[in-house]
Amino acid sequence: MYRYWEKRFKTTLEQDAELEAIKKELKKLVKQKFGGSLAIRMVDSGSCNACEAECNALSNPYYNLEELGIHFVASPRHADVMFLSGVMTFNMYHHAIDCYNQIPSPKWVIAIGDCVKDLGVFEKTYAIKGNSIEVTHYISNCPPSPKDIISGLLEFARDV
Amino acid sequence: MRLIARFAQELRNGIEIVDVYDKETQKSLLSFDNLKIETLTKKYPSAIWMERKISDEFGVEFTNSFDTRPLLKHEHFPSDIYPLRKDFNATDINFTEYKPYDYEAIGGDGVFQVAVGPIHAGIIEPGHFQFSQAGEEILHLEIRHFYKYRAIEKMCEGKEPMSIKKIVERISGNESVAYQVAFVNILAQASGIELPESLKQKYATLLEVERIIHHVTDIGFIANDVGFAPALALGSKLSEEARRVFVKLTGHRFGFGAIKEELTIDFASLIDFLNYLKKELEFFRDWIYDIPSVWDRFDTTGKLSIKKVKKYGVVGVGARASGVKVDARDNNFYKNFGYQMQLGKKGEVSDRFKLRFNEIFNSIEMIKNFETYDNDGFEFSEFKDGEYSAFSESSMGELFMYLKVKDGLVDRFFVRDPSFINWQAFHTTIYKDIIADFPLINKSFDLSYAGNDL
Repeated sequence: MYRYWEKRFKTTLEQDAELEAIKKELKKLVKQKFGGSLAIRMVDSGSCNACEAECNALSNPYYNLEELGIHFVASPRHADVMFLSGVMTFNMYHHAIDCYNQIPSPKWVIAIGDCVKDLGVFEKTYAIKGNSIEVTHYISNCPPSPKDIISGLLEFARDV
Repeated sequence: MRLIARFAQELRNGIEIVDVYDKETQKSLLSFDNLKIETLTKKYPSAIWMERKISDEFGVEFTNSFDTRPLLKHEHFPSDIYPLRKDFNATDINFTEYKPYDYEAIGGDGVFQVAVGPIHAGIIEPGHFQFSQAGEEILHLEIRHFYKYRAIEKMCEGKEPMSIKKIVERISGNESVAYQVAFVNILAQASGIELPESLKQKYATLLEVERIIHHVTDIGFIANDVGFAPALALGSKLSEEARRVFVKLTGHRFGFGAIKEELTIDFASLIDFLNYLKKELEFFRDWIYDIPSVWDRFDTTGKLSIKKVKKYGVVGVGARASGVKVDARDNNFYKNFGYQMQLGKKGEVSDRFKLRFNEIFNSIEMIKNFETYDNDGFEFSEFKDGEYSAFSESSMGELFMYLKVKDGLVDRFFVRDPSFINWQAFHTTIYKDIIADFPLINKSFDLSYAGNDL
């Protein structure tokens, strides 16, 4: 294993100056407004899984959201913010609201992707209820890229 | 014979049950006053979800079935409506009173139930897993899905075939290109067009790139699930780089809208990237093969036996890792471009992990052979009435799609996602394992919830 150690750390990443600037301001705001730590609980209420994949991508070395003090948590009771994605299906409705109710106040909801706002390309069917949880901030696109999500978080942090 | 799908559609004089096997298709027409048919589950256990789905959607009764519980209709769902019938047009229904669902559970001294989901600890899709436990050991697992049920099938009905393309793209984000390839094949059949050879090569290229991205992501996550986090850092870095290349190819990180009537692919820069990726993955493989604590968890875990693969008709990585030859790409077109089926031996987590590396390397070889600069396109004309079906191989396995066009509009749209079969065989893999192995086994299959639920 040791013989691989050195090579691993030689990896270089392409730097995105714009992203670095956004991250710098976001880190400052998280420190000012959230005591340096912002916990997010992600709930999928009926997406295609692309929004989830993009949120997972936020942890990869290119975006590395954790270094800003922003992290995804396993329980709503540990969370400050709920990320909500998907069309809010009939079968997920009560579970998503349960989850929201379990988040201690003060709490905020950030909608990820177009589905939450207006179902995106989907249309209303009997199996779709649509979201009724009050959303603080919308991050649009189908799906929003990791950079879109980080910029969205910055806008949210500025407004809060 | 392998059962691929059992689904229903309403005709003027009754409800037709369509059984799709790998070698033939059988149809049975049930009259409206006697909606009963014999179950297939004695021979094909994975027919059970298909039949429960048909019961929920059409009100058909399957005689001698061992399980008649609702599947799509959860606790608050009205049980007296049959939404896929043509006379059902409501787009909004009300919640009914809570009806408890009767979970499969094992009783006995010291045996307890662990309910997991629908909302999970990580950033993943919703689904419920009900374990019967004796201490750490799993006695039984029932998987309950369809929390994400959006009624895609009904949504597509009555629309022009072209106009549902954007919906089909977004049924399952990780398999978008596979869905689009199957759909474009169906549309080509419906308008009597033969796709140009060079375009087929380009479609196949995008499908392989999608597979590569998905497999690379999985390799990182599977290793992360045994606590080996550096693999996730490296895997997620490589999959991000692959996704950025995918944006250059298709204009979208997930390839939504990628499969078009005309395509230009910059093969030269794609192949440059793939050569780099191959080198990185060879390093990754040699590195992780050398770490005993990882293999201590991978080996002997989550064994899916050949017997179960055949019995359930498992497809995709799950089947091939057990050594069973099932792949929608197993045809002359792909073989001419260097397709070689990769097979595992024992069907354990380690086999599925290694298989993903081997499939990526084979995909890279194929893409090099797919290189073409011919710019043949085509145009869809009118879609003729009729029934059409197509297959494609997503990164999860064989995808089956069916479309019936009537008066130029979609009369019935049906998809059988590979996950729909594989989820049902999943519970057979956990009996020798402890509950802490469950996330690892789950990730080693990496099935879709959205595609399964529709």
